[in-house]
Amino acid sequence: MRYLRLFFIQLKASLLVAMQYRLDFLIDLGLAILATSSALVPLLVLYGDRQTVAGWTWPQALLVVGFFNVLRGILNSVIQPSLQAVVEHIRRGTLDFVLMKPADAQFLVSTARFEVREVTDSLAGVGIIAYALSRLGEWPGPLGVAAAVLIVGCGVMILYSIFILVVGLAFVWVKVDNLSYLFMSLFDAARWPASVFRGAMAWVFTFILPLAVMTTFPALAVMNRLTPAALAQALLVTAVFLTLSRVAWLQCLRRYTSAGG
Amino acid sequence: MIRVQRLTKHYKVHKRQPGVLAALRSVFRRRFTTVKAVDDISFEIAAGARVGFLGPNGAGKTTTLKVLAGLLAPTAGEVRVKGFVPNERRYEFLRSIMLVAGQKQQLLWDLPPADTFELNRAIYGIAPAEFRERLREMVELLEVEDVVKKPTRQLSLGERMKCELVAALLHRPTVLFLDEPTIGLDVTMQATVRRFVRTYNERYGATVLLTSHNMDDVAALCERVMIIHHGRLIFDGTLADLVRQTLPEKRVTLRLAKAVPGGDLAVLGRVVEHRDDAAILQVRQSDVSDIVKTALATLPVLDLNVEDAPLEEVLANVFAGAEAKRLPEAAS
Amino acid sequence: MSKRAVPWYDLLVTLFKVGFADAVAYRGEMFVWLLATNMPLIMLVLWSAVAAEAPVGRYGQREFAAYFLSTLVVRLLTGAWVVWTMNLEIKNGQLAMRLIRPVHPFWMFAAENVAAWPLRAVMAVPIGVAAVWMVGGQYFTRDLRQWALFPIAVLSAWLLNFSIMLVIGCLAFFWQSSFGAFEVWFRLYIVFSGYVVPVDLFPRVLQDALRYLPFRYLLAFPVETALGTISFTTALHDLARQWLFISLALAVAVVLWQRGVRRYEAFGG
Repeated sequence: MRYLRLFFIQLKASLLVAMQYRLDFLIDLGLAILATSSALVPLLVLYGDRQTVAGWTWPQALLVVGFFNVLRGILNSVIQPSLQAVVEHIRRGTLDFVLMKPADAQFLVSTARFEVREVTDSLAGVGIIAYALSRLGEWPGPLGVAAAVLIVGCGVMILYSIFILVVGLAFVWVKVDNLSYLFMSLFDAARWPASVFRGAMAWVFTFILPLAVMTTFPALAVMNRLTPAALAQALLVTAVFLTLSRVAWLQCLRRYTSAGG
Repeated sequence: MIRVQRLTKHYKVHKRQPGVLAALRSVFRRRFTTVKAVDDISFEIAAGARVGFLGPNGAGKTTTLKVLAGLLAPTAGEVRVKGFVPNERRYEFLRSIMLVAGQKQQLLWDLPPADTFELNRAIYGIAPAEFRERLREMVELLEVEDVVKKPTRQLSLGERMKCELVAALLHRPTVLFLDEPTIGLDVTMQATVRRFVRTYNERYGATVLLTSHNMDDVAALCERVMIIHHGRLIFDGTLADLVRQTLPEKRVTLRLAKAVPGGDLAVLGRVVEHRDDAAILQVRQSDVSDIVKTALATLPVLDLNVEDAPLEEVLANVFAGAEAKRLPEAAS
Repeated sequence: MSKRAVPWYDLLVTLFKVGFADAVAYRGEMFVWLLATNMPLIMLVLWSAVAAEAPVGRYGQREFAAYFLSTLVVRLLTGAWVVWTMNLEIKNGQLAMRLIRPVHPFWMFAAENVAAWPLRAVMAVPIGVAAVWMVGGQYFTRDLRQWALFPIAVLSAWLLNFSIMLVIGCLAFFWQSSFGAFEVWFRLYIVFSGYVVPVDLFPRVLQDALRYLPFRYLLAFPVETALGTISFTTALHDLARQWLFISLALAVAVVLWQRGVRRYEAFGG
C-alpha cells in the first residue's frame, strides 16, 4: 500500500514535468501516430509483394508489431526514463540521497521517473492488435488472452531485469546511456516475427536478448497457437532474468556502498 | 572604457500555479510575469580598474555582468565597452574580453587543459612565440606545470579553476569578467586566484569586474564596489567609503586575564559580544583613543585590537537599510 | 586588442586536431554508438529471409546484401550529433562559452563532427571492403566516374545531414527541447531515405515525389551511386538537387541561429 502511494506521488511529479514542456507534449502526440505508421512502411512494401513472409501472413505479422508497440510504450514510459535518472544520480554523486531513504533502493530507482506521453505508444499497439485480430477474423479464447497477458507481463519483467542489469553496470562504467541506446536499437528487431531471423541472430535473440518471448509468443497466444512448452519456456526465461538482475543489483550496490563516495 | 547609462533588464518568466490542472491549462495558455533583474543603473568604469559587484542572490549582479560581456541584450539603456555595443559581439570586441564563470567551464572535459590552450591559441590567432611565452609565464605563476597534461576531469576544482584562468587570459583580454570565481574553492586556492587576478591587472592594466558572494574576494581585489539590490544600484564607491557611511563605528576586541562582569564593559561602549574573558565592543571613531585608555587602566587586558566592522555586517546593514527604504515605496 | 597573428587555416586545422583528440577520448562511447547503427544489418537479415523465397522486385539475396551493407557504410560516415550538443548547451547555459569566442559556433560544431570521421572510417571502410569482397564486385558499379562521384556524394550527404541537424538544433532556442522535432524528422528519414526499404521498391509515384524531398539525398543517392543502380547522368542531377537542399538548410539554419541567439540574449542563458 505504501509503495502504491509512493508510486502515484512519483507519477504525479513526472506528469507535471511533462506538462511544462508543452510543445514537446503536443508534438509527441502526433509523433506516436507517425512513429507507428512509419514503422509499418517496410511491412507494407513487403506484403505488397507477397502473401506470407517466413510463414506469417500480413495480419499475423501486424499482431507482432502491435505487441512490440505495447512493450516499447512500457519500456519508454517507465523503464528507460528511470534508467536515465539513475545514471544522472551516479554521475552527479546524488545516488546517496536515494540510498538513504527508508525504502528499497531498487524500487525507488525503478519508479523514479515516468514519461507519461510515451504511453500513447502502447495504446497504439492495442489498436493495432485489435485491427489485426479483426482482419484475421479469428478471436482468441479466454485462455489465449490470459496467456498473452501473462507473457506480456513476462516481457515487461525481462525488459525490467535487463534495465536493472544495465543500471548495475552504471555503477562500474558511468557512461552507460550509450549502452541503453544500443539496447534500444537491438530491441527494435522485436518488431518482426522471430522466425525471420536465422543463424547467429536467431541464437542471440533467443538466449541473450529473448525478443521472441516478448513479442512473437504473445502474438502466437492470441492466435491460439502457443504451445504449453513455449509458455513454460517464457516463464523460465523470466524467472532466470529476474533472479539474475536482483543478485547483480545487490552485488553492485554492495560494491558501491563499500567503495564510499 | 565601460559606460553604462540607464541600463534596464527585464525577464519574462513563465508563471504557473502548482497542481496538475494548472499544468494542463498552461499547455494551452501561458501567463508571464516580468522580473526586473536590473532597473535603471548607470555607471562608468575607467580602464585598469578593479570593480566588485556585490549583492544577494538574484539582485542583478550576474545579469549586469552578462550584459557587459555581451551575453544578454539590455531591455533599455545604453551600454558601451571599449566603444563596442557588447551584444553585437563583434570579433574585435570578443578578442579583447573574457568571461570566467565559476560554474561554467571552457576547458574540454575529457582532454588535458593543454589542448584547450592550443584551441584558444588558434581561435584568438595568437602567434606561436607569444603563445609559448604567455603560457610559460602563467603556468609558472600558478604552479600548474604538472597539471596541464592531465585530462580535465581528473583535476581538482582548484586546479581546474587555475587552468580556466590560464585558458581565459592567453589572448590577453583587456577586460576580464569574473562571475563567482572562487565558488567552491578552499581558502588557500581562493587566495591564489585573487593574487593571480591582481597580478594580471597590475601587469597588463586590464580592467577587472567581478561578482562574488565572498567578501574576502572583494576586500582583497576591488578598490571600488557597486552594491546592487533588487536591481538597483544602492552604493558605488570605495570599500572605505562604504564602511564609513554605514558602520563607521570601530570594533575593539579585548582579551582579558580573567572574566569580568558585563557591567564593567557596558560603561565603555556597546557590547557586541561577551563571553567570560573575551569581548567585542563597538565604539564611535572619535571615542576610540579615550576608551582604549580607560580599558587599559580599569580592566585586566591581555590583548587589545581595534578594527573596522566585518564586511559581512556592513553589507547586512546596507541591505537592511535598503529594505526599509523599499517598504514604504512598495506600500504606496 | 590583438589581431590574428596566424592564418585562418591554422584555426581549421587546430579545431580538427583538438576535435580528433576529443573523439579519441570518447572512443568507447563512439564505438557503442556505431554498434547501435545496426538497423541495416537487421534489415539485411529480414529482407534476405524474404528474398530466399523469391526475389523482391530486382532484389535477390545478394542485391539486398550489397544494398544494406552500402547503406551501413554511408550511414556510419554521414552521422552528426549537433542536435544533442545544441539542446544540451542551450539548456545548461554552456552555449555562453561559445558565444563569447570570436569564431562562429557553426564552425566549431562542424569541426567537432568532422573530427570524428577518421574513427568512423576505421569502422566503415572495412565493412565496405568486406561487402564488395563477400557479395561480389558485379553487384556494384563498374563505372569509374561513379566511384569518383561516390565520396563527393557521401561528403555532401554528411553536410546535408549536419545542416538539417543545425536547423533542428536551433529550434531548441524557441522550444525547451527540440528532440521531439528531431524524432519526427528521424522517423521520416528512416522510411524515406532508403534506410529500411530500398527506395526503388516504393510505388512509382512515391519514388518520383522523393526526388523533390531531402531524404534520399542523405542516403539512397550515395548508395545507388556505388551500386550503379542510377546512371551517371541521373547521379549528377541528384548531386545538384542535393546541393540545393544543402544551401536551403544552411540558409534556414543561419536565420534561425540569428533569431535564436537574439532570444537567448533576451531570456538569459
